[in-house]
Amino acid sequence: MSPPQREFDTRTDRHLLGGLRIAWLHLRIGVMNELQYRANFVIQLIQSLVAISTGLVVLALIFDRTDQLGGWTRPELLVVMGVFTLVGGLIGFVVEPNMGRVMGDIERGTFDYVLTKPVDSQLLSSLREFRIWRLTDAVVGLAVMIWGLAELKADFDAGEVAGFVITLAAGMLLIYCLWLVLTAGAFWVVRMDMVQELFTGLYRAGQYPVTVYPVWLRLMLTYLVPLGFAITVPSESLTGRLTLTRLVITVAFMVVAFTATRWFWRLGTRRYSGASA
Amino acid sequence: MTEVATGVHESIDRESAVRSYVRLYATLARTSMMQGFQYRVGNYFYMIGMVAEPVVYLVVWSTIARQQGGDVGGYTPGTFAAYYIVWTLVRNMNIVFTPFGWEQRIREGELSGHLARPLHPIHYDLGSFAGWKVVVIVLWLPIAGILSLIFRPELSPTIAQIAVFGIAIWGAYLIRSLFLWMLGMVTIWTTRVSAIFEAYFAAELLLSGRLLPVSLMPEWAQTLAGYLPFESTFGFPITALVGPITSRELVIGLVRQFVWIAIGIAGVQLMWRRAIKAYTAVNG
Amino acid sequence: MSVTDLRKVFEVPVREAGLAASIKSLVHREHRDVVAVEDVTFSIAPGEIVGFLGPNGAGKTTTLKMLSGLLHPSDGTARVLGHEPWKRERDYLRRMTLLMGNRNQLQWDLPALDSFELTRAIYRLPEAMFTAQRDELIELLELGPLVNKPVRNLSLGERMKAEIANSLLHRPEILFLDEPTLGLDVTMQRRIRAFLADYNRRYGASIMLTTHYMADVEALCERVIVIHHGSLLFDGPLSVLSQQFAGHKTLVVTLDEPADLSNYGEVIESSATRTTLRIARDQTASVTARLLSELPVRDLTVEDPPIDDVIELAFASVKPA
Repeated sequence: MSPPQREFDTRTDRHLLGGLRIAWLHLRIGVMNELQYRANFVIQLIQSLVAISTGLVVLALIFDRTDQLGGWTRPELLVVMGVFTLVGGLIGFVVEPNMGRVMGDIERGTFDYVLTKPVDSQLLSSLREFRIWRLTDAVVGLAVMIWGLAELKADFDAGEVAGFVITLAAGMLLIYCLWLVLTAGAFWVVRMDMVQELFTGLYRAGQYPVTVYPVWLRLMLTYLVPLGFAITVPSESLTGRLTLTRLVITVAFMVVAFTATRWFWRLGTRRYSGASA
Repeated sequence: MTEVATGVHESIDRESAVRSYVRLYATLARTSMMQGFQYRVGNYFYMIGMVAEPVVYLVVWSTIARQQGGDVGGYTPGTFAAYYIVWTLVRNMNIVFTPFGWEQRIREGELSGHLARPLHPIHYDLGSFAGWKVVVIVLWLPIAGILSLIFRPELSPTIAQIAVFGIAIWGAYLIRSLFLWMLGMVTIWTTRVSAIFEAYFAAELLLSGRLLPVSLMPEWAQTLAGYLPFESTFGFPITALVGPITSRELVIGLVRQFVWIAIGIAGVQLMWRRAIKAYTAVNG
Repeated sequence: MSVTDLRKVFEVPVREAGLAASIKSLVHREHRDVVAVEDVTFSIAPGEIVGFLGPNGAGKTTTLKMLSGLLHPSDGTARVLGHEPWKRERDYLRRMTLLMGNRNQLQWDLPALDSFELTRAIYRLPEAMFTAQRDELIELLELGPLVNKPVRNLSLGERMKAEIANSLLHRPEILFLDEPTLGLDVTMQRRIRAFLADYNRRYGASIMLTTHYMADVEALCERVIVIHHGSLLFDGPLSVLSQQFAGHKTLVVTLDEPADLSNYGEVIESSATRTTLRIARDQTASVTARLLSELPVRDLTVEDPPIDDVIELAFASVKPA
């Protein structure tokens, strides 16, 4: 017996704009909801400050003992920590809440509602939930990054800034892809607990440039858990280390990973509708 | 009331208190073990996420040790490896009911369910998490093996050190359970506590030996750590096994754990009584 | 069990919008008092089953929570089995049970049998007594092999039966049941009702139960207590309540062709061939007979007014001007 199959993507192109409009509506609703709880902003701000202070203390402890770590100086590591916090804030703003929601929906069987909407299911389930207060991390991270750059007295050209923006976007997309693949695993396993714990744990590794780690770990933290692409590479762009080759590799890898992720997602949703029909 | 019922309750009282607590803990542990083994994927995700943390510390501090010509404050890459691999076991022992869980516990009415039963709910948590540890340790063994192959720890404990370590990890479990229980109970008075929790965990990270051996911290931080319970839950058990540590320090460490357990029990009792009062005044 | 002038007032924080107000409220909060239960007095004899009725928000759950020791009253006294419930003495907690239809105590991922073991440990039940009680409950509730399946795989009704078994393992002498049949299908409701009646007979346990289903009350409770807005409205036999406050029944008639039925009773609702009539309780038999003989009736049902309507009527008539 062949499971009934749904055509999810025949008209994806035509629906992309519609999907983005829906995402925008979700964002507005999310913002309005969270604006009601402004005390949460204060709490989140305190949490961001606690986290960054801890990070700064760690840096101080390290540079109490040495003047460079794997070829990176203190202000350069400040930049890395800034980017690390910035990316963490962006993930907490959009990736983590949406993936958590998908996982919960699959577990409770309410994922049907996503599939019954005439919108691309991946787009819809990736941009439904927004936690604006998590952006305080992004702001704090940005501030630390600028502080590090100021200490470096770095003068960078438009190309380096563009390189930063491009690699940051590509890196974010790569992290999103990994998280989505793990989440889509729930289509098969149903209960994929602890994905968030897994991620939070692994993410800590991004606090330092991946070049610090032994080769096997560096490769894992670049191609398997793309922290290298999301944090180290953008930081390299700001500290004058990024080569054009590396930029091209980053973007190319992102395109390949995104295509593979989309294929995997489609496989998962097809399985889900087959199993639940 | 009826005769049947009276008879039943007399026979309950006849069973000795100690035996019934042993049975209670055994049943709780068995129940959570059975649940834990059902979700191996989740457990492994948890383990890998958990192991990433000490690996980062280990790599960073070994790198610094090598750059400094072999050691930092007496720690070589080999002893750092031992420290952070033992760390993973101690961290597993330190997993207790999270203070963040209290909000759900109150919202979903789980706390009411506990209150309607003739048992202090901390026994429930202690027993359940003790059982889960068995699951975690079984899954941890291969990971510890792999880490040891990669990072080559230098570890040569004496029998006394191993014995003290065996006691100390359970002492650590008790202390952390009690203190995080107290922290979590704050949720009964106000739900906006996550910032307090984060601050507590930040202090714990820095002053417990979780981030790096306390002996590598500045002098004043070491003094401060001496007045706080954190070191008894991380630094002491690890150092007990990894060394260097004298017999005297081993004994002192155990005594300190004992004192923190006593303080923890007293604190939980005191707070719990007030917490129930506050809770039964508004929530139920 | 006796309850005198039980009263519960909740302090509800008054929240203002805006960041400044939010920060201010961290330090100082303004409160408004809401009376949930107001001077309620009643007593229940051993072995009695009492239906505790009232619309949503009437204070039923608050009262049950006070009697089971989860809530401390603002004022008043209560003695249950010789205890003051909110002191939460172990002896009391071991002799009563509180079951809420919308909350589960069973371990979700494990068979109910394992949860039973846990309950045994928590209540310190001796082996022989536990085994006997467990097997008896499994039999009475017709749980059979269901107790070996993980709870997550049970249907809502099966899960409820397992929850009931779990909460009765320690053979409580007093049962507080909050909506035990909520959301269950009719067959399952009937089975649970039969079981509760049986349990009450066997052990002489008192039962205080809230429900939204008239059938529960009719099958189980000779006596009902009605509260509304926190105050006690009615305390007496069920028969008096429905006769006194809902002296009518509802007739739904479907005819082969449209007809005017207004001379049979008060028309509440009517579509092309379907009419709903309100008829005095004592005339039900004669009106039904007339309808069947005089008109081409395709279908006819007689219904009791919904319990909420009865209570509403009771409220309207008892309420002093």
